[in-house]
Amino acid sequence: MAASAGSKIRNAKLVLLGDVGAGKSSLVLRFVKGQFVEFQESTIGAAFFSQTLAVNDETVKFEIWDTAGQERYHSLAPMYYRGAAAAIVVYDISNQASFTRAKKWVQELQAQGNQNTVVALAGNKADLLEAREVQIEEAKTYAQENGLFFMETSAKTATNVNDIFYEIAKRLLQGQAAQNPQAAGMVLSQRPNERVVSAASCCSS
Amino acid sequence: MFGIQPRDVSDDDFNPRRRRWSLWTTPPASMPTTSHTSTPRKGHANTYHMSVKFEDLCGFMVEGNVDDVNVLNEVRERIREQGRVWWALEASKGANWYLQPRISSNGGQGVISVTSLKLSVLTNTVTLRRLIRKGVPPALRPKVWLSVSGAAKKRSTVPETYYDELIRATEGKTTPATRQIDHDLPRTFPCHPWLNSEEGQASLRRVLVGYSFRDSEVGYCQGLNYVAALLLLVMKTEEDAFWMLAVLLENVLVSDCYTDTLSGCHVEQRVFKDLLAKKCPRIAAHLEAMGFDVSLVATEWFLCLFSKTLPSETTLRVWDVLFNEGAKVLFHVALAIFKMREDDLLRIQHIGDVIDVLQTTAHHLYEPDELLTFAFDKIGSMTTNTITKERKRHETVVMAELDQRTRRLGSLKMDA
Repeated sequence: MAASAGSKIRNAKLVLLGDVGAGKSSLVLRFVKGQFVEFQESTIGAAFFSQTLAVNDETVKFEIWDTAGQERYHSLAPMYYRGAAAAIVVYDISNQASFTRAKKWVQELQAQGNQNTVVALAGNKADLLEAREVQIEEAKTYAQENGLFFMETSAKTATNVNDIFYEIAKRLLQGQAAQNPQAAGMVLSQRPNERVVSAASCCSS
Repeated sequence: MFGIQPRDVSDDDFNPRRRRWSLWTTPPASMPTTSHTSTPRKGHANTYHMSVKFEDLCGFMVEGNVDDVNVLNEVRERIREQGRVWWALEASKGANWYLQPRISSNGGQGVISVTSLKLSVLTNTVTLRRLIRKGVPPALRPKVWLSVSGAAKKRSTVPETYYDELIRATEGKTTPATRQIDHDLPRTFPCHPWLNSEEGQASLRRVLVGYSFRDSEVGYCQGLNYVAALLLLVMKTEEDAFWMLAVLLENVLVSDCYTDTLSGCHVEQRVFKDLLAKKCPRIAAHLEAMGFDVSLVATEWFLCLFSKTLPSETTLRVWDVLFNEGAKVLFHVALAIFKMREDDLLRIQHIGDVIDVLQTTAHHLYEPDELLTFAFDKIGSMTTNTITKERKRHETVVMAELDQRTRRLGSLKMDA
C-alpha cells in the first residue's frame, strides 16, 4: 500500500515535548547515536538531530527537535511543533507530575497543532519498575481516549526506542499513501481512523 | 606513526606555554598534560586527519583536528602579544588605568556627565574598547570584567558581607528554583572535571541558589547554569562569579530574558530577525523562502550567551566585548556566524543542512579574531538607540501575543 513511491526519502519534522527530566534528550540520543549517558546536558531552547529510518522500501528522514522541558520554555514550543509531522510526548513513569504535564502537552497539540500530526505518548524510564508511579493501564486508557499511540520506553536499556520511531515512520507513510496514493511529496500526514493502537500491537511488526 | 605531529603539538607547544599561561589563568581544575587519541585514517600518517584531544584554557576537553590545534596556538600567541601591550600600558598609564571612570557604552553603568568629560577619559575609553576587542589577557579577566561590566560598582553599594549572608539565608531552604537547580547541577557541562566534582557543583549551586533568592522573579532559568558555570571557571572567586551573573541579568542584558515567559528573549529574537534581514538580506530571504525560522537555532545562542555553542576560549572573547559594550554584541556575533557562511547557506535547500552548517561552523570557531572581525567590521555598526527603538516596537506585540496565548491555554486547562 505504501510502496508506490519507491526509494524516495521523505523528510518528516518530529518534535519531542514533555516535562523536564522525563528523558526527551536521552530518547533522541539513544535513537540517533545508540548511546545513553546518566547525566544528559540540559537542553536550552531546543536541540536538532536528524536520523533516517528505512520502512520496507521507503526511507523517512526524521528532523528531530528535542525541546527544553522547563515550564518557562513552554512559550517557545509553538516554534518547534508548528508544521511537525509527528510529536512524541514524553513522561517519566516514576513521576506522576510528569504524566500530568504530558496530558497538557497533548491538549495543547490537539488545540494548536496540525490535526494530521501523528502523536505518540512515551512512558519513559520503563526500567524503573520499582519506582513506578504511573500505571501502564492508566496511560494506555488515556492514549486510547485521545487517539494517541502509546509505548513505554527506556532510553537506558533501549527498550522500544527504535520501535516508537519506526511506528511513527510507518504511520507517516501509511497516512500519506492513504491521503494521496500517487504522492511523492514532502507533506506527511496520517490516516485519522488509525490512531488508536495498543501498546502490545505497536511493538510488533 | 601518529606520534610526530601530536607530540609537537602537545609537548613542545602546549606544555611550556601552559606553564606561562598558568600565570594568567586561574582554572579551578588542575591542568593535566594534553592527551591525544586515536586514529590516523587509513594508511598514511596524514596528521591533518588525526583527531587530537586537548584541554582548553577553561579545562574543557576538546576534540579537534591538527588544524584546530594550530589555530588555537596561533590565537594564544596573539593573546600573549596582547598581554604585553596591556602590561606596557600599565607601565605608561599607571596600574589599573582601565579601572578608572570612563564613558559607558553599556547603558547606565559608570556614566560620567558630559561636563566632566576629560580628554584622558575619552582616550582611555577608546583605547580600552580597542584593546578589549582584541582580547583581555586571561589573568586580567576577573578584574577587567568586574570593572567594565559595572559589577564592582554594584557590589560596592551593599555591605561586604552581602554574599555570605545571602548564602547563609538560603541554607536548608527548598523552592521550585532550588529543586530545578539540583536537577541541573550534574547536567551542566558534565564532561568538565571540576564542574563534575562535588566541590564544583556545590559552588555552582551556591551561585545559582543565591541568585534565585536575590531575584525571585528570575528565580532560576535553565541556561543560567551554563552561564554561571563558565563565569565560575573564569572569575577568581565564587562571589565574583555571583556579581557577574547579577550585573549580566540586571544591567547588561535586556530585562525579562529569563523570567516567566522569557518575554525578553522573544523580543531579542524578533529584533535579531529584523537585523538579519537588514544586514544579510540574501541569507534572510533564502531562509525565509525555505520556511526556516532563525530563532530555531539562535534562541540557545542568546540564552546561553554562546557558552554551549562556541569553543570556550572564543566564548570568553565574546564575553570580553559583551561586558564592555553591552547586549548588542550578541546580535553582532549571531549575525557574524550567518555571514561567515553566506555562500554555503545560499546554496543549501534543506533546513537540516542549514542547522548542520551553522552548528559545525560555531563549534569549530577556534579563531575568535575572525569571528569578531566579521561581527564588527563586516556586519557594520548598529547604534544602541536604533536597537532600543526596535526592542520597544516588538515588546508591545510580544507581550500581547504571550498574554493571548496564556489565556488560551488557561481556558484549555479549565475545560479539562
